[in-house]
Formats: sequence, structure tokens, C-alpha cells
Amino acid sequence: MDQAYFLDLLVGGLAIGCVYSLVALGFAMIIRATGIIHFAQGEVLMVGSMSGLSTLWLLPRLPAVAVMLIAMLASGIVSVAMEFFVYRTLRVRRIPIMNVITATVGMSILFINAARIIWGSEPLRYPDLFGTLAYTFAGVRISPQLVWIMVMGLVLMGILQLFLKYTRTGLAMQAVAQDPDAAQMMGANLTRMMVYTFGVAGIMAGAAGVMVGSLFFSFFQMGFIIGLKGFIAATLGGLGSLAGAMLGGILFGLIETFAAVFVSSAYKDGIGMVLLIFILLASPSGLVGLWKRRR
Amino acid sequence: MSADPALSPRRSLQSRVATLVFVAALLVFPAVYHNPFALHMMSLVAINAMVALGLQLLFGFSGQLSIGQAAFYGIGAYTSGLLTTKLGVPFPAALLASGVVASVASLLMVPVTRLSGVYLAVSTIGFSILVHLVLMNEEWLTGGTFGLIGIPRVSLFGYTLRNPAYSYFLCVGCALAVYAALVRLERSRFGRAINAIRQNEDAARSSGLAVTYLKSQCFVIAAFIAGLAGSLYAHQVRYLAPDDFTFWKSIEFLFMVVIGGVGSLFGAVLGAAFVVLLPEWLREIGDYRMLVFGALIVTAMLFGTRGLAGVLAATGRALGALMRRAAASG
Repeated sequence: MDQAYFLDLLVGGLAIGCVYSLVALGFAMIIRATGIIHFAQGEVLMVGSMSGLSTLWLLPRLPAVAVMLIAMLASGIVSVAMEFFVYRTLRVRRIPIMNVITATVGMSILFINAARIIWGSEPLRYPDLFGTLAYTFAGVRISPQLVWIMVMGLVLMGILQLFLKYTRTGLAMQAVAQDPDAAQMMGANLTRMMVYTFGVAGIMAGAAGVMVGSLFFSFFQMGFIIGLKGFIAATLGGLGSLAGAMLGGILFGLIETFAAVFVSSAYKDGIGMVLLIFILLASPSGLVGLWKRRR
Repeated sequence: MSADPALSPRRSLQSRVATLVFVAALLVFPAVYHNPFALHMMSLVAINAMVALGLQLLFGFSGQLSIGQAAFYGIGAYTSGLLTTKLGVPFPAALLASGVVASVASLLMVPVTRLSGVYLAVSTIGFSILVHLVLMNEEWLTGGTFGLIGIPRVSLFGYTLRNPAYSYFLCVGCALAVYAALVRLERSRFGRAINAIRQNEDAARSSGLAVTYLKSQCFVIAAFIAGLAGSLYAHQVRYLAPDDFTFWKSIEFLFMVVIGGVGSLFGAVLGAAFVVLLPEWLREIGDYRMLVFGALIVTAMLFGTRGLAGVLAATGRALGALMRRAAASG
């Protein structure tokens, strides 16, 4: 097989994998802190993507990083607003978790249709954010988009790890996720940590939104399938484990890209699913479970 | 919980009367309101209610969250559609075959039943997506994205059911049969066993219940019912497209169960009516239709943890108390 082609696929798979990882991280953080499968996560991503695009319409010369920051801000705000207005009320009323999850699907329907009214139902093209000049690695030309997406994705995930490990807020968020009662007794503010969790999850999704938008296009329904894949990636990693979510996302992106080329492009989504089911059967708590058992 | 009507050994007189009135209302509905579109919608409610009832058994009774019921529904619909159009199999045989094929397909899920909670749900999502891909891509069999057209109307014993009222009776009859069967099942030894599994799987296992076997049985029963419903659907709309059986459809079935009230059979029926009819009623507001639908679902989750069935029971109790008070005072 052609080496250049392989490298091309590898970079493409890693780039889309980074997008899935960012979404999966949001799922994992929320599920760990609250137990909620946040099905509206894809719609948070869509709002970020659309906001980034709208900003570009207003200010066409804005650099990519600024667009991304704006999208992250928009998604973060939307995510926090969801927590503040809906999920908090549900939590305070001690609504069963299944009903909360149903409510997140309701939010998802709400946002999809709001977006259709605001941005229309046509797929919207992103302008070239990252220039058109191809990079050359070892004689292989690679699209700048893919490289930038990969770099930005990895940087964001790195920042998240540092934030969670080395700041008081980050540590408090982790503590609340592990044991809410104990964390509260140690002085962590549960309500505030929930807001932060949803905020960070939203920010990650917003960044992923711009990435997906620049790779394909923005579309009012875009969040649904990407959100689903992000969720599956999070499950693949082992729900609630951040490292697992990152790994799961990248792995899912690679599997999907290579399966599309080597097995069947019509069934590319299906192959990921079959592998997922087999991985879960081998290790009922995801990749992280497999790794833990090894030790 | 003594307040749980499902667990009380004998049903009260009121609930018997209520059931009788409900069934009677369903039977006279076509005579009172003979509108073909309304009858069609009611048939769809009955069909969807069947799947929701099956999911209620799976999720509400045995506690296994499946977000993939649309797969079995789709398998049933395509089985019936293909058997009648391509092989000329009579409807009753095709109906039965749909249920059987769907339940055989569900045997694939048997290994998955040992997963729990979200992991199980994700596997069923995966299965649902796979089945949708097969329906879409295997054009030689399913007609691909063009869909399967020209499915005949139901004909029973040589009579073709042209009158929408007859197909309404067929769908409602099947739904009532499923309902009655599940009511029996809920109170049987099997029903108590899966209830025990939902409440505490380890305790159930240590009490000698064959947990995996019972859980798989629930999957097969739910899939069989979904297959039957799919067959009815195929002959009701007479055109099948893969996009009728996406992951969204599975989510809709889940909505029906949760909105109706997890663990309540009648709730599943109410939920099906809500999810099928509400978007139709909201059609007048056009673009804002699904926006309002989403908002209503979120709102519904804010009130009443036991769904529409819970709301209904609370209203019934309040009315009963009111009547008793009125009787006592005057």
C-alpha cells in the first residue's frame, strides 16, 4: 500500500478522532459528575459551530483562533444555561435519572429546531480558516486543516488535563465527581462545580464545532450524529474516565476512517458499532476496564 | 410500595370499569368519528403503542434500557413487506413471520444482556444503526433509499380491508391483545422474577433466578412484539423507507415509555398517543412545531416523575376522594 496514502488517512483519522475526543470528554465529564447522558451535547457543538460561522460572516478577517474562542464561549454559555435553567431544577426536584436523560433529548430537539429557524435548513460552508497551503511532511502533502485541528485538539485536551490536575477548581470538580457528599464536606461548592462541569464540557464541544464546521460544513442537524459518535467514543473508553474518552475518541476516528477505505464506505458507521459491541463484550466497562484488569 | 397498583394482587373495581370504558370507547370510535385520517392516526397510535408496550416490559419491568427497538420494528416491517410483495405470502403468515424474524434477530442481543445500564443502551444503539445501514444499503433486498413500494393492503380470509375502520380494528385489536398478554405476564411468576432482577440483580441471582436467561427472554418478547407492530405498520402505510427506522425512531419509543410513565403498561399507551398525535396537533404552528414538542418534553419531565400514568392516577384518586367526600356530606 502507498505510504503517502496511509499517512493521509492516518492524519485524517486522527483529526476527526480529536473532534470525537473533545465531544466524548464533555460526555464523560457530565456523566461522571451527574450521571446524566447529555444527549444535547451535539447540539451544544452545533451552536458553537454556527456562532463561529456567524462571527466569520460579520468579521471575515478574524483569525482562526479567535473564531474558535468565540465558538467555545457561545457553546459554554449555552451549556451552562441548560444546566442552570433545566437540569438544576430537575436535580433539585430529585427527578429520576431516566427522566432527566429524556429531558436532554427534549433539549436536543428544541435546539435543533431553534437552529433551523435561526440559521435555515441548508448546509452552510465554512470559509477556509487555516489557509490553503498544504504542509509537506517527509515528501507527503497534508492539508493544513487536518494538522491544525489535530494540534488544537491536543492542546485543548492538554490544557484540560492541566486545569483538572493543578488548579483548585479543577481538583474540586474532580472531587465532586468522585464523591459529592465528601467533597461538599471539604468545602467544595457542589452547585458551582456543576456549572463549571457543564461550562467546560460546552467549551470543548464548541471547539469541536468549529473543527467539524471547517472540515465539512455547518448544518442544523450536524450535532446529532457527531454527538452520538462522541457518546459512543466515551462509552468505548469507559464512561466517566477522561483518559478513556480521549483514547476512545481518537480510536473511533481512526477505525471509522480506515474502515471506510478498506472495508466499505457504506458501512463505515456500522463497523465502528460492531467493534464497539465486541469491545464491550470483552470488557464490559470499556477500554479502561481492559487496561485496569491487565495491571 | 402499597400505592403501586401494579403490585397489588387484585385490581380494584374502578380500574376494571375504567378498562372496560376505555376499550368500549376504542371500539365505538370509528362509528362516532368516521374520518379516514383520524382513523389512520389512531391506527398508528395503536401500532406504536405495541412497540412501547414491549419496551415497557424490557425497560420498565426488567430494567434493561434499549435504545434500539426501531431495529426490530424495522425488521418486522421489511419482513412482512417483502414476504407479501415478493413471495405473495398471505397476511396472517407474514404477520407471524415478522414477529419470528424480529425475535430471531434479537437473539443477537443475548450476549449483550450481560452488559448493564448505559453500556447495554449503547450496544442497542449500535444494533439499531447497523440495521438501518443494512436497510439502506442492501438495495437488492430492501430497495435501498428508494424504499419498498406497493405493499398490499391487509387481506384476511379473502377479504381486503379497504375500509380504514377495519384496519383500525385490526391494529387496535392487536394492541389490545398485546396489552392483555403483558398484563397477564406482569403478574405471572415470570413478571415477578424480572421485577426482582430490576430491583436487585445480585439478590435475584442468589435467589436462584436464571438472570441472563430471563433478561434475554425479555429482549426476545419485546422484539417479537416490535416485529408484529412493524408488520402492521408496513400494511398500514404501504410504503417503507429506511429512514422510518432510524435511531430517532428508537428514541421516540423511549419517549413513549418515559412520558407515559416507566413501569406502567397503560402509561406506554398514553405515551404512544402523546408522541404520535402531539406533532400532528401542533402542525398548525408550522416551523415551530418540533420546537414546541421539544419544550413540552422537557416540561413534562419537570412535572410528575411517574409520567402521564402517574398524573392520571393522581387525578383519579383526587376525583375519587372528592366523590367520597360529596357522598359523605350529602
